[in-house]
Amino acid sequence: MVQRLKEVDVVIVGVGMVGSIVAKELAAAGYKVVGLERGEARFTVPEFQSPAVHDELRFDIRKALMQDNTREPVTFRNASSETALPVRRWESFLPGTGLGGSMVHWNGQTYRFQANDFELATRTKERYGKNFLDKDVTIQDWGVTYAELEPHYDRFEYLLGTSGKAGNIKGEIQPGGDPHESPRSREYPTPPQKEHFQGALFRKAATSLGYHPFPQPSSNLSQPYTNPEGVKLNACVFCGFCERYACEHYAKSTPQTVILPVLLANSNFELRTGCQVQRINLDSSKKKATGVTYIDTAGREFEQPASLVITASFALNNVRMLLLSGIGKPYNPQSGTGVVGRNYAYQTMSSVAAFFDQDVIINPFMASGASGTLINDFAGDNFDHSGLGFIGGAFIGAVNTNGRPIQYHPVPPGTPAWGQGWKEAVVKHYNHTVMFSLHGSSVSTRQNYLDLDPTYRDAWGQPLLRMTFDFPQNDLKMAAYVTAKGVEIGKAMGAKLVAGAPRKAPYTTTVYQTTHNTGGTVMGNDPRTSVVNRYLQSWDVPNVFVIGASAYPQNASWNPTDTLGALTYWAIDALKNRYLKNPGRLVSA
Amino acid sequence: MVFLLALGASVIVAAASPKAGPESAKRPGPAAAVICQSCHGANGEGAPAAKIPRLAGQSADYLDKQLRDYASGARSNEVMQNFAKPLSEADRAEVAAYFASLTAPSIAPNPRATDSQLARGRQLAQQGSEAERVQACDNCHGPDGSGVPRSAPYLAGQSADYLAAELQSWREGKRKNDAGKLMSSVVQRLNDADVSAVSAYFSSLGAE
Repeated sequence: MVQRLKEVDVVIVGVGMVGSIVAKELAAAGYKVVGLERGEARFTVPEFQSPAVHDELRFDIRKALMQDNTREPVTFRNASSETALPVRRWESFLPGTGLGGSMVHWNGQTYRFQANDFELATRTKERYGKNFLDKDVTIQDWGVTYAELEPHYDRFEYLLGTSGKAGNIKGEIQPGGDPHESPRSREYPTPPQKEHFQGALFRKAATSLGYHPFPQPSSNLSQPYTNPEGVKLNACVFCGFCERYACEHYAKSTPQTVILPVLLANSNFELRTGCQVQRINLDSSKKKATGVTYIDTAGREFEQPASLVITASFALNNVRMLLLSGIGKPYNPQSGTGVVGRNYAYQTMSSVAAFFDQDVIINPFMASGASGTLINDFAGDNFDHSGLGFIGGAFIGAVNTNGRPIQYHPVPPGTPAWGQGWKEAVVKHYNHTVMFSLHGSSVSTRQNYLDLDPTYRDAWGQPLLRMTFDFPQNDLKMAAYVTAKGVEIGKAMGAKLVAGAPRKAPYTTTVYQTTHNTGGTVMGNDPRTSVVNRYLQSWDVPNVFVIGASAYPQNASWNPTDTLGALTYWAIDALKNRYLKNPGRLVSA
Repeated sequence: MVFLLALGASVIVAAASPKAGPESAKRPGPAAAVICQSCHGANGEGAPAAKIPRLAGQSADYLDKQLRDYASGARSNEVMQNFAKPLSEADRAEVAAYFASLTAPSIAPNPRATDSQLARGRQLAQQGSEAERVQACDNCHGPDGSGVPRSAPYLAGQSADYLAAELQSWREGKRKNDAGKLMSSVVQRLNDADVSAVSAYFSSLGAE
């Protein structure tokens, strides 16, 4: 028995960062908005308070804030010749669930992508010729430019209160910032966080090698801040429990700390939690959505009619929602046709460990999720790739986020994996090691994609999402190159032993790498190679907008959240000023 | 019910086991400490009614920083500035370490606090309040306000009047020697009733 509810103007699938911002804007503009969140409502008080929130076993190991993969896992295989199996324990990536979404457990690293990234295919051809790339690479332009997104980046960063130092304001290079960044219209809302000792060591060494270190842009704030919505945040206390945890201090920018208080006070908005959306419903023409169907925690099925449907879930779930709803043609890797699930990309994370003498005290636990020091000299297209055989790069930085006892124990290569030898090595190196992150880009390729699993289903009987992924040769070459650069910096820091670990194939889901899964509902100007147009509107069903990192045609060298925030405000602009005034296609196919 | 029992128990413990002073002052203090003791008590027990804080067992790093801040004017108090200014860096460290090493009898709970005040204070201390967007005091000040050396002083058993006066001072911007404006930004969101409640609550816990 499906219960049909009263029609609303807008229904939003997922109330994380994207859902909260979209809902706030549209509710404020007078539209009736319903937000459907599959997880629970949760707030800084009481849910995120210590000491419970610092429970490493619960949050780090048992992944308490993540999507419940006993009910809703993804299946995975390295190649389409293999049979995919369900990922029963999240390790490689960590999709969140619950009010506020994955941003509740983020690190707060708030980078913009560079102008070049949005026109990657065109710029790569211009600079390196049309035969430079491996044959399997399917990178493409975004259909939106950095200049178009800049005001929206700015708005998002001021919403968060991001702490950083500008490197380029309107074309003028700013001392102390990142000289490689694309021009921003003004300084960050708050100054950078304090530099920790490992950051200072890195900065000196990187400078001595002629590189350009700068403080990591952080949405764990350096000082109290009141955002343009009137919501107040506190300064971060460097407790070292950001990623995988919620913040108990109102110091990390999350939906809870920057926008939900305003959204929830608006009577045009209704939040419903515990709602597992099954599909977006289409009319008989299949060109118009009529709403969504969801099941609540008591197992009751509801139909929520709406004039406009916005999917604002984690990237992987946006892709799955379209596949389950029959919106857009699924991608076929054999023929290379179809679009939904195409251009799934990841990021290529390498590391360098610099082991110091016992008199160099690092205190790794004194950190925030984004209080590091880094360089962009080997990120994106900031260096000449001629003759290197790959595109892309990585930021290299002493950006260690914590010294938590269960998760953090750097030991040199060759150390036994357990027992007395391992214990002695942990004790010896814990406080005398600097771990660099080499945060690398990822090209999209013909063979990496997402589709529905033919065998495995979720707790509601729906097919799981199937991921087919391995690291492209392009990215493995990139990882080897940037790791060698990282090792040089480690040596210049005076470390006794420097161990580089370039990312290697095969990709495995059993080791944490990054939660920056992208693609599958790619944006663009050509419906043959994109699922949504440049305003994130479905080409096939114009009253569906798909807003998420699933829109990225490939992934850049930086954490994706800031760009997603910019895209969100960019899409809202088009929704408010154009679509809702005159519903229909914003771009003709 | 659990709350009441726990609260009741801590009050009883505080009242029934005063940690008497004699043995704690077993080693002679530094010369400079004598001046402190004339107001803060022989064992650093404080003078609660006069808003003079308890120092016994307080974090040495915290005490050292306060002396430094009094001397420089970063924490404003004319009386304390006069005492702190002449102290050398070594004197300060020695005095701070001395009081950190002392134990002293606990101060009796604030007799003026009502049960509902104590309950509200306990809520703010242990859980915070989403309505005011105030996080739990214990996040930084430790379980039951027992302090987290080096940075966060203990609050348990501190003079309620002293705590209330300091919170007021943070709120008015008179006291501002906190890193990242951590105290001032939180206290901005507490009203007078909450300031009294949370001060009374921490005072009622008794000192270790």
